[in-house]
Amino acid sequence: MVELTIDNQRVKVKEGTTILEAADKLNISIPTLCHHENLTPLGSCRLCTVEVIVDGTSKLTTACTFPVEQGIKVRTTSRKALEARRLAAELLLAKCPTSVKVRNLAKEIGVDKPRIKVREEDCILCDLCVRTCREIVGRQAIKFINRGLNQSVEPHVDLSPDMCIGCGSCAYVCPTGAIKMEDKGDTRVIHGPKWEIEFKLKKCKVCGNYWAPEEQLEYITKSLDLPPGFFDVCPNCR
Amino acid sequence: MSKVIFSSWAGKTVDNRGLGVEQHAYARDLGLPSGYDHTKVAAFMGWDGFVVWDEKINVVDMAHAYIKEVQKISCGECMVGYIGIGVIADTLAKILGGKGGEEDIDLLQWLANGVKENARCTFGQTAPIPIIDSIKYYRDEYLKLIKKNRKTVPKSSYKVMVTAPCMEACPAHLDIPGYIELIRNHRYGESLSLIRDGVCLPGVIGRVCTAPCEEACRRAQYDGHVCIRLLKRCVADWEMNSGLTPSFAKPRKSKEKIAIIGAGPAGLACSYNLALKGYRVTIFEELPIAGGMAAVGIPQYRLPTKILDRDIELIEKTGVEIRLNTKIGKDLEMGDLWKGGYKAIFIAIGAHKGRKMGAEGEDKDYEGFVDGMKFLQDVNLGRVIEPKNRILIVGGGDVAVDCARSCLRLGFRDVNIVYRRSRVEMPARKAEIEEAEKEGVKISYLAAPTKILAKDGKVIGAECIKMALGEPDSSGRRRPIPIKGSEFVMEADMIIPAIGQQPDLSFLPVRDQIKLAKQLTIETDITTCQTSGEGIFAGGDCVTGPAVLIDALASGNKAAQSIDQYIRKGKVTQGEDTKLESAVKGINISAQREQEIIPREMPQITSQLPLKKRIGNFREVENGFNTEAALEEAKRCLRCYRVMVWATAE
Repeated sequence: MVELTIDNQRVKVKEGTTILEAADKLNISIPTLCHHENLTPLGSCRLCTVEVIVDGTSKLTTACTFPVEQGIKVRTTSRKALEARRLAAELLLAKCPTSVKVRNLAKEIGVDKPRIKVREEDCILCDLCVRTCREIVGRQAIKFINRGLNQSVEPHVDLSPDMCIGCGSCAYVCPTGAIKMEDKGDTRVIHGPKWEIEFKLKKCKVCGNYWAPEEQLEYITKSLDLPPGFFDVCPNCR
Repeated sequence: MSKVIFSSWAGKTVDNRGLGVEQHAYARDLGLPSGYDHTKVAAFMGWDGFVVWDEKINVVDMAHAYIKEVQKISCGECMVGYIGIGVIADTLAKILGGKGGEEDIDLLQWLANGVKENARCTFGQTAPIPIIDSIKYYRDEYLKLIKKNRKTVPKSSYKVMVTAPCMEACPAHLDIPGYIELIRNHRYGESLSLIRDGVCLPGVIGRVCTAPCEEACRRAQYDGHVCIRLLKRCVADWEMNSGLTPSFAKPRKSKEKIAIIGAGPAGLACSYNLALKGYRVTIFEELPIAGGMAAVGIPQYRLPTKILDRDIELIEKTGVEIRLNTKIGKDLEMGDLWKGGYKAIFIAIGAHKGRKMGAEGEDKDYEGFVDGMKFLQDVNLGRVIEPKNRILIVGGGDVAVDCARSCLRLGFRDVNIVYRRSRVEMPARKAEIEEAEKEGVKISYLAAPTKILAKDGKVIGAECIKMALGEPDSSGRRRPIPIKGSEFVMEADMIIPAIGQQPDLSFLPVRDQIKLAKQLTIETDITTCQTSGEGIFAGGDCVTGPAVLIDALASGNKAAQSIDQYIRKGKVTQGEDTKLESAVKGINISAQREQEIIPREMPQITSQLPLKKRIGNFREVENGFNTEAALEEAKRCLRCYRVMVWATAE
């Protein structure tokens, strides 16, 4: 066990716990955007910034990525931490002002209007879709490509173009709506900031409804070693 | 150190503005780049501040040039760094374009501070520092632009260099944070192609590199360096195990033929780079296999043959022809190469000839007395070696340790190394020595053979003398001094001297055509690899004496650049890379004023072949990372990219 202090409250947690998790134990709430409890933390959005004091040296860090250490002091509402959060929120809001989630978070942090030029983009490169695809779905259809100004999330095509199974988890987890999913008749369309993929949906042999992408069902059949034809009937009719 | 007008480098301010030259304070001990000529450099900006030598320089313009380069390295994995740096660049452009207001200075300051305080990586935390300094010390320049007191901004041209402590330490200057970033993003193929830009033998170097990059890694001061070598190995193995082959860009074939003597790492690196530029390259190799020292000098338990073979096969795919069993000086003469239409020759024959110990009887061809390089060659070429009972290996380098560990695998029972200095001075890699000892190799320090003892023409042992350590010699290591009267006998039925190698230059036709250094190695211009012979270049161990693989690869790369220049322009001028390289000499790439708090995340560990499974076979000892471990390890990179720009004087 490791003992640390968060906002003057002592807490004992298991080694490897992050500051965010330790704070949660004390019911101290810290805003997050790119964090998801089932995914590896990344520290991309910087909204969960806190001040840590290690051996007398104070430094800002993200609560979601920093594993606790014995004797460290954490200040979640110090002026330094709050200012850093405000800056991060302003930058995010300027990049993506149309997202309700970003607007609400920014407001919570105390930012209504960014003082920098608004860009009106959708994707904030939070990496949630990339991590979900890899860690939850078990595929690697989406990857970060390029650096600097050209960074964007696009389907990964250099290894195997059919990595995407059309499950739509990326659209589900996307906080800004940069990735969207639509089912129309026998077709599912998933579209991101600069790309679009179409999938044929499988028809239920009983009710005749189109209910899931064929690629996804094939993937599940293969992964779980199900008998062929298992998904000929949709869950509602089974 | 020349006098400066202004410096904020390393957080130490020297401000001589408005003072007469005689009143100027010197900028001493700042760790400033000393490699370039200050009369030609007007100003310099980098991760730890900026320096002005010529007051005509516009600091805002320089800051803009700098941040544009910074923006190219910004990865997008953290929003504060990514968006923040972008807005800083836009704002500087706005001010330079005469459209800025005073509030833009505050905005710049707010953003630069915010990025410095809260970016995720070291690069992000240090990159805004000179921008903050420029506002603090050159605010007037900003105000002049805003109030339009300055109508035209004098535009300077800037040189750019991007490096990192690891990249600087790497002889081939691989973009290490770059390929680690690609691994972090699961883009292994692209990562490997970035590695191949500097190293044509990724599978090999991922196993046997001495990895000076890891010593320079800034993470070492916290919880252990990033395992850079194993990351490289991981992507190389990934490609091989996935059954993928890289596609090389097909350049327009040029007519010129280039001859390379020696298919070792230097020769291969040179051939690969020239072939990618479109040259028709032929390598002449004396041995029946390609790879040079990597093929016959490194035992298979460190470097399996299939790894080397694959790397070489891919090089051949670029169009390089390798003629085995062809010794220049015997099967063909140097003159034949010119007659055969080759326009340039690169000599990369390595250093395979064992040096003499200076012990009595070492020239008598006793049975059981085998040179270390010859022994390793026999082992690697699969020649039958009858295991002996007690063997004595003389020397403390990698070759000695490789011989000893090979002997154990061949079934030799009692394997001994004798080294004339102490453990501290032993040049072999520490991990290799430790593994050898674990496997059962015994090492005697501070002793050296003086006489080889033989009976009926067969080795029976060596008379040795004990040593004491004296003052350091030219190598920096303490000199061994024989202790009179301390002679003793070590029994052995085989003795392997492995005290160092030198190139065998007997093939060179006219000795005085190509200058030699100390009669031992080929003399070259180290920046261009040119020898004194027209159109003849040389690199690798035959120039440096026995060195490490990555040095040979780096010199092969450099030679390829020079040969390309020589063919196109008829002469070789110092390459741009070399110029940049020497420009940053003297600057401490590792140092930075910004303090970090790095949470402890220990390096990933790899497993080793269990000791009892190592005897009687040459199975690879070290296991690599799987892609999951590589991903975790890649996350440990602090990204210490350092961007530098300097303005050249008119």
